[in-house]
Amino acid sequence: MSAGRARRGAWLRRPFRALPALFVAAVYVFLLAPILLIVLLSLNAGEFLAFPPQGLSLRWYGALFGNEPFMRAIGTSLWVATIAAAVSTAVGTAAALFFVRHAGRMRETLRMLVMMPLMLPEILTAIALLFFVYATGIGTQTMFGLVVGHVLVTLPYAFMNVASSLYNFDRSIEEAARSLGARPFTVFRRVTLPLIKPGIITGALFAFIVSFDLFNMSLLLKGIGMTTLPIQLFDYLRWDFDPTAAAVSSLSIVMTFTIILFVDRVIGLRSLRFG
Amino acid sequence: MTAGVLPLTGSAPRKPRRRWLPAHYWLVAPALVLIGVFLVLPYFNIIVMSFRAPAVGAPYAPGFSGGNYLRILSDSYFLGVLADTVFLGFVTALVCLLLGYPVAYHLARTRSRFRGLLYVFVLSPLLVGVVIRTFGWLILLSGNGVINRALVDLGLAERALTLMNNRFGVTVALVHVFLPFMILPLVAAIGSIDPNLEAAGRSLGAGRWTVFRRIFLPLSLPGIQAGTILVFVLAMSAYVTPVMLGGAQVKTMPVLVVQNLIDNFQWPMGAALALVLAVTGIVLVWVYARLTGALMRGVQ
Amino acid sequence: MTKLVLERLQKRFGAVHAIRDLDLAVGEGELVSLLGPSGCGKTTTLRCVAGFEFPDEGRIAFDGADITDLPPERRDIGMVFQNYALFPHMTVRQNLAFGLEMRRIDRAAAAARIERVLGMVQLGGMAERYPRQLSGGQQQRVALARALVIEPKLLLLDEPLANLDAALREEMRFFIRDLQRRVGITALYVTHDQAEAMVMSDRIVVMFDGAIAQLGPPAEIYQRPSTARIAKFVGRANLLPGTIEASLGGASHRVATVLGPVAARHDKALAAGTKVTLAVRPEAAVLTAAAPADRPSFRVRVEQSYFLGGAVDHVARAADAGIVFVVSTAPSNALAPGTDASISFAERDAWIMADEP
Repeated sequence: MSAGRARRGAWLRRPFRALPALFVAAVYVFLLAPILLIVLLSLNAGEFLAFPPQGLSLRWYGALFGNEPFMRAIGTSLWVATIAAAVSTAVGTAAALFFVRHAGRMRETLRMLVMMPLMLPEILTAIALLFFVYATGIGTQTMFGLVVGHVLVTLPYAFMNVASSLYNFDRSIEEAARSLGARPFTVFRRVTLPLIKPGIITGALFAFIVSFDLFNMSLLLKGIGMTTLPIQLFDYLRWDFDPTAAAVSSLSIVMTFTIILFVDRVIGLRSLRFG
Repeated sequence: MTAGVLPLTGSAPRKPRRRWLPAHYWLVAPALVLIGVFLVLPYFNIIVMSFRAPAVGAPYAPGFSGGNYLRILSDSYFLGVLADTVFLGFVTALVCLLLGYPVAYHLARTRSRFRGLLYVFVLSPLLVGVVIRTFGWLILLSGNGVINRALVDLGLAERALTLMNNRFGVTVALVHVFLPFMILPLVAAIGSIDPNLEAAGRSLGAGRWTVFRRIFLPLSLPGIQAGTILVFVLAMSAYVTPVMLGGAQVKTMPVLVVQNLIDNFQWPMGAALALVLAVTGIVLVWVYARLTGALMRGVQ
Repeated sequence: MTKLVLERLQKRFGAVHAIRDLDLAVGEGELVSLLGPSGCGKTTTLRCVAGFEFPDEGRIAFDGADITDLPPERRDIGMVFQNYALFPHMTVRQNLAFGLEMRRIDRAAAAARIERVLGMVQLGGMAERYPRQLSGGQQQRVALARALVIEPKLLLLDEPLANLDAALREEMRFFIRDLQRRVGITALYVTHDQAEAMVMSDRIVVMFDGAIAQLGPPAEIYQRPSTARIAKFVGRANLLPGTIEASLGGASHRVATVLGPVAARHDKALAAGTKVTLAVRPEAAVLTAAAPADRPSFRVRVEQSYFLGGAVDHVARAADAGIVFVVSTAPSNALAPGTDASISFAERDAWIMADEP
């Protein structure tokens, strides 16, 4: 029967059809393997970064909590990331509101300006800021330059997320609220804000993660005696690597994954744009 | 039918209404101030700094000269590093394209319910941080790292291969770090291609490969252009990965720049090196954009 | 008494002249429709009355007070939007309560009003649902309820039925009109659907290109359109160009056309030699196989016929005169394509339009 012959032909073709799928799967493995490896090795009961691990244990996490430089670095990173996320979310939300609703002819120029930190290499921006704080006398003794740098680099993320949730916003809902007697600020507070909250929160979370991981910016703008986690980890790894570094990396990885999964659950990652 | 309760006032033009126009500009002011003062101005300052004279004991001396540029452009060492950096960027972008295109196609077109999860898989490496990711490659590529241990234990190699402290290791790690930056714009570009176009091509008699080559590929060129430019620029400006995985053997421009800025405290030189890198990048990207732009006529 | 007055309104958007010199007065309890093709300015006019646009010139007065410069929240209006514009993050009850909160109605009174209005729109048990859990028709009724619960002085509706399917649209037309009559609220209704305007309105304002083309009750617009464009937009019309031969007293005239002299009517006497257009509605023309003995007719050949359920449309050509006529008959009187036939119509069904289109 011709149907049977067709089926046999399909069998023959099947392995070749699987090739692209295998390739794609392999790339995903490539993307995730180094990260998963670190997490796995942080649970290693043995001394070395051997694979397969010699048993599972949390001893390196224990060692981490006793490691003062790492703990201080984590604290600094969390602090800076929180401030940077707060500032860039506030500034970015305001800018996004203007951009989507009032920008008119300035639109593309404004977009380019706010997205510039993303389009320019981070290291150049860091250098520019370094010269700036030195030239203005601010220097790097305080965290001002560091925080400003983090705010600059995270601003586009906050801006993009809020702008994207505003694009899809149905203005007639606000008009309905006004027709019912609400003044513009009440409309913003009771109708607009609740509906763009997901975009704002996502922007803040992305700003936080990005700031937490920044290296080049922190490298140039940190003062003496202060350090962020990526830099501390980098210094640690210059000389040797042991599972303590894997432990602190894993904490960071878990934090990042948690936040991303949360965002995906809340608003879905597909709606995000990255420039 | 038109008698109104008000006396007809004649059509005098009404005074222009002042609605709440000025208030809106306050929304964008903080962002503009932030970008203007802390980004635009400082960038111009880099240019100024690159023309300053070097000094001992201080970042720079008073007075201006073009000496830094002369040094860079006449010294084959610097030019060599620049060429290396450009080459690294180029290879990284190419490999990212070859690896990322199929993944992007799959991600854009798949209707599987794991689609969200796949997005997470592509996005998370991006947000985990470059130091951690390069650390992962350190574990994988080092002399007694995971790959070498496996090869030796399984008898596939006699002794450990040198997978890092060379261009190979740096390239592999750079590809890993920047692959999501290739995949995400491509997904966006591919996603915007009407699936019906492929169906139309098939209905007109074209086979799958022809449809891909003649219809799909040209339409995805804008995404390809965007992704390759992005990865090229990022790879050229990378610092952490070449330092951690390149050791003393692989020097790229960013490494030299930071060296001058932090280790040697030679700011004018560092600024000049950074600008030479930036200008080279801009010129190359511009040329590339023109060339690929010619290919894309009619697509955009 | 007159509730709403629009006086010499002008509005431009850049080069586009959206509203030209518009004058309109709406009486209390009236439902007036703004009817026209897209881009004619009807929605812009409505938005000016609502306060979302401000006219460049002219005034808007409500209950004697000038409201031209008032922001929307200070006008006592209720508005129903084409896409309902329900607050997605609020339940039906909260949607309805919103306007009452803005007016600081106390909770008990508000709750009572909400219950009553929900009953009026027949959405009794739906108060705790969210908009996304409701069907299109239900959402539309919530939008209506939300506009009515605040008991505004003026109801504005912007093509509220455009997103509903045909059957639901018809049902909702009667529903909204009935509700408006019972409550007695003055209403301004924007639509591009002439059947809808005819069913619902006390008066229709036909708008083309930003200006009022004709204003009057539905019957007047339909039976006595002032221009050919209106005749074709509101209902269908067979148009015959001609010249006045003589005025026969009162409304009657004899008009010279390619079909020969035709008896037709106009609301006032017209001078001989005036160039006019005659409009004959398809359902007013009579199609018979043989020429009728008692009245004038002309010979045609039926080219196409379309069965529409309650009627049959015939497209017939009078070859020597070079015109095509559309006649609508009952199915029992239908003629097959290819048949030679006669078309006749009474004088009262031939309407003269003297204005330029």
